[in-house]
Amino acid sequence: MSQSHQRRLPVWALRANGGVVLLFLYAPIILLVIFSFSASRIPGQWGGFTTEWYTTLFDDSRLQRTISVSVRVALVSTLIATVLGTMAALALERFTFRGRRVFDALLYLPIIIPDVTMAVMMLMFFSQSFNVVDAVFGLGLSKGFGTIVVSHVAFNIAFVSVVVRARIAGMNATLEQAASDLYASRWQAFRYVTLPLIAPGVFGGALLALTLSLDDVVVTQFVAGPGSTTLPVYVFSLIRKGVTPTINSVSVIMLVASLILVAGSVALQRANASRGRQQLQTSGGTS
Amino acid sequence: MNEITESQDQRSAAVSLRGISKLFDDVTAVDSVDLDIGDSEFFALLGPSGCGKTTTLRMIAGLEIPSAGSLQIFGEEVGSLPPNKRPVNTVFQNYALFPHMSVVDNVAFGLKMRKIPKSEISTRVHEAISLVRMTGMEDRRPNQLSGGQQQRVALARALVNRPKVLLLDEPLAALDLKLRQEMQFELKQLQREVGITFVFVTHDQEEALALSDRIGVMNDGRLLQVGTPEEMYDAPIDRFVADFIGRSNFLKATLESAEVVCLANGQRIRVPQVDAVSVGDEVQVSLRPERVMIGDLDSAPHDSAQLSGTVETETFLGNSVVYRVALDWMTIEVEADHRPDVERYHAGDRVDLWWRDDAVAVVRP
Repeated sequence: MSQSHQRRLPVWALRANGGVVLLFLYAPIILLVIFSFSASRIPGQWGGFTTEWYTTLFDDSRLQRTISVSVRVALVSTLIATVLGTMAALALERFTFRGRRVFDALLYLPIIIPDVTMAVMMLMFFSQSFNVVDAVFGLGLSKGFGTIVVSHVAFNIAFVSVVVRARIAGMNATLEQAASDLYASRWQAFRYVTLPLIAPGVFGGALLALTLSLDDVVVTQFVAGPGSTTLPVYVFSLIRKGVTPTINSVSVIMLVASLILVAGSVALQRANASRGRQQLQTSGGTS
Repeated sequence: MNEITESQDQRSAAVSLRGISKLFDDVTAVDSVDLDIGDSEFFALLGPSGCGKTTTLRMIAGLEIPSAGSLQIFGEEVGSLPPNKRPVNTVFQNYALFPHMSVVDNVAFGLKMRKIPKSEISTRVHEAISLVRMTGMEDRRPNQLSGGQQQRVALARALVNRPKVLLLDEPLAALDLKLRQEMQFELKQLQREVGITFVFVTHDQEEALALSDRIGVMNDGRLLQVGTPEEMYDAPIDRFVADFIGRSNFLKATLESAEVVCLANGQRIRVPQVDAVSVGDEVQVSLRPERVMIGDLDSAPHDSAQLSGTVETETFLGNSVVYRVALDWMTIEVEADHRPDVERYHAGDRVDLWWRDDAVAVVRP
């Protein structure tokens, strides 16, 4: 082999490199998990094993409220963003209309814009529009659950539509024409042909949106109102008051939750992929 | 040819196009096409790629809306109806089978969309699957089928709906040669069995000649000529048609009267009666290579049209020999049978060429 003549790093160096990278990535996580079970009041100090922080966490009604807000915001905004983002993706991939290019460019803006800018924009938008609505209808709207959902939808549409578009682009448009040739209405063609074929993309986009929404601190902090704090914002505010071991346990729970989400989506993709491979193999055998 | 067109008019035409045009932005894809396709006819739209044949088919299917003109299917105006409201079904070029559905579900799709009762769906689907000889493959997915099998499923999926007209977009183009010849035969059989109108689009002249009852040749968005395969081969009226279907020599000429043309070298020859051009027009005489006789100098019979020249090249093809014969004003290709009783000529030989008056066709240049 010609490679043996080339100068190569010794195997131990490669292993060490890999080890350092893994350590760099996972040591903080491991430390976090370990210290979430530490009995000491100071978050970086080991004081014996305890599950006290988890119990206080389950007793902390404020924390539970923020978790509930986070989950509800994430679910509602993901649902809306997935529907709108998929529609936008379909419009851009399947139709030509006036202003399509402009729409295309504008749709990507939320991905490019810094979070802080987005947050300030949303804040100004809400205060201005609430002024107008108040003046006209006298409704006395205020920031809260609704404004968080709207903001999350605003940035998530872009991410969902990027993911879904990739999937639609890989799908033959003739299939939809075949469906309509076979007496399917527009809706039926979408329901029975397009949607099943782009479902992995839609699902992937929804997962991404869910994660982004659960994670978001900056935008949420600007548009949240009293009583509608999400978990990340709450954690952030706790840190300012001084870190307590409760934060460790909250973080571990969030970590486990996101691991379950990721593992679920990977398992789904595996199942899809192996089904596809099986089909390929059998078709290779018959032809 | 005109008689046939008129008799088609008298029967109710399956598909009738009047002044159909299609513009994409500023590009004219189809330019004012008039066409009647008869009931249970096997009709081919033939032309090179980009000639508008597929666009015409897609307008009949409802996948494109005509920019102008009237489109009727069995007397009913359908020009602006969406595809799902038309009594036609299409076999797409790459079959467009639904990859996430089994063969049965693919075939049943149209019936399900029309809310046909379940028991009827199952009988009709199995009939259609056995019609295309795919019994036993019901549960396969499209990607588990070979090209020919996918083609059959696509046919079953369309025919199960009992359309009044079946549209086929280059149905055989994706198959290899041997399979294509088999499927040609099967398609023809199938059309006789189900007895409905087939309209198919192809760029393959042999396929069109072999399969269809009538052919329409298109070029640059215009329908140049419609006729039976024999008419298209024997009596083309347009140089493009004569060139696209088979091979031909084109001799420049002027039409002097309905049955006489004056060739570019001043020689007058008799031709079959011409309607498509008027007297005095510049025309071309289409002369098929295999219809020209070749013989020794001064051996041509005196009562037929003849030219003399020198053999320039000879190409041996097994069953025939193709000579390129140089005249003083053009070169003519001649295809002679290769048999022991046929004289063989070589480069440099002086020869006579002649043909029967009815062996040629006068075409628009």
